[in-house]
Amino acid sequence: MTAPAVGAECPPRRYAHTSVQLFRFSAVSWNAHRIHYDAAYAATEGFPDAVVQSTLHGEMLSRHALEWAGPGARLESVAWRNVATAVAGERLTWAATVSSVEGARVRLDARILKADGSECVTGTVEVTRAG
Amino acid sequence: MTAAVVSSPALEEVLARARELIGQWRDEDCGTPTVKDFCRYAAALNDGGYIRRARALEADGRPVEAPALFLAATMSWEDGPTEDELRPDGLARRESPCTEGLPVRQVHGGQSVRLVRPPVAGTRITAARAVVSARHKRGRSGEFVLLGVRTRFLSPDGGELAAVDETIVVLDATGGDR
Repeated sequence: MTAPAVGAECPPRRYAHTSVQLFRFSAVSWNAHRIHYDAAYAATEGFPDAVVQSTLHGEMLSRHALEWAGPGARLESVAWRNVATAVAGERLTWAATVSSVEGARVRLDARILKADGSECVTGTVEVTRAG
Repeated sequence: MTAAVVSSPALEEVLARARELIGQWRDEDCGTPTVKDFCRYAAALNDGGYIRRARALEADGRPVEAPALFLAATMSWEDGPTEDELRPDGLARRESPCTEGLPVRQVHGGQSVRLVRPPVAGTRITAARAVVSARHKRGRSGEFVLLGVRTRFLSPDGGELAAVDETIVVLDATGGDR
């Protein structure tokens, strides 16, 4: 991978979280909040299905950034804000733009978009690319 | 857009409790995570590549680093309350600071994670955690409280592994206004 330029768009990544993954992620992260695995309970709080965990969004922001940055890239920091709720089975798209480059350190403005293009999560990811 | 007056008694109580707690750091023992803990976390993320690499390193007797957000994503390090001690929404007291017994619900507003040094399997980890801010807001969907919680993860030598700032959004579950 050649050195990225500020303003460059990363190729988008499309994915969806299954209800099985939401359950397993809740279990492994010791998160018993019922909105994440109990669709009937989630409905009582106004959600159409089990809700994607905030930290799972953080994982997706980071993992796609690392994948884009290439083998050996290292995560330095990630920050995100949950703008809208995503649920099991919902089609999501990771998108990012290079916002700064300092040597091997690259900062991305990253976002997770819903199928209609609206923002679900917005954030920044800093990675250091392998030399 | 900070509201001058809190309409919801429940949110007013959340704010009062939070302000009492601000700056009171509580230490937590995160235990000594194993390669299996890391691999199970990776499995939940469908990351078979991590599992293969981690097990190969372990077989060679080399250190195995945790997935980058393993510490930040783990909600609690306590043994955990039994089900009858959970709130109706499934949250434990620790995950729902300042809200015990109140008719509120909560969602995660976001998180900021700064990684310093990856934890290595077999190394004891401790955490220090505190409520650091409490703000009342009013938005399109009504009023809410934003709780800021900071967690610092430390290695046995006292070195920082990661720092996590999270925002918890607390809403009145009854609709709110007095």
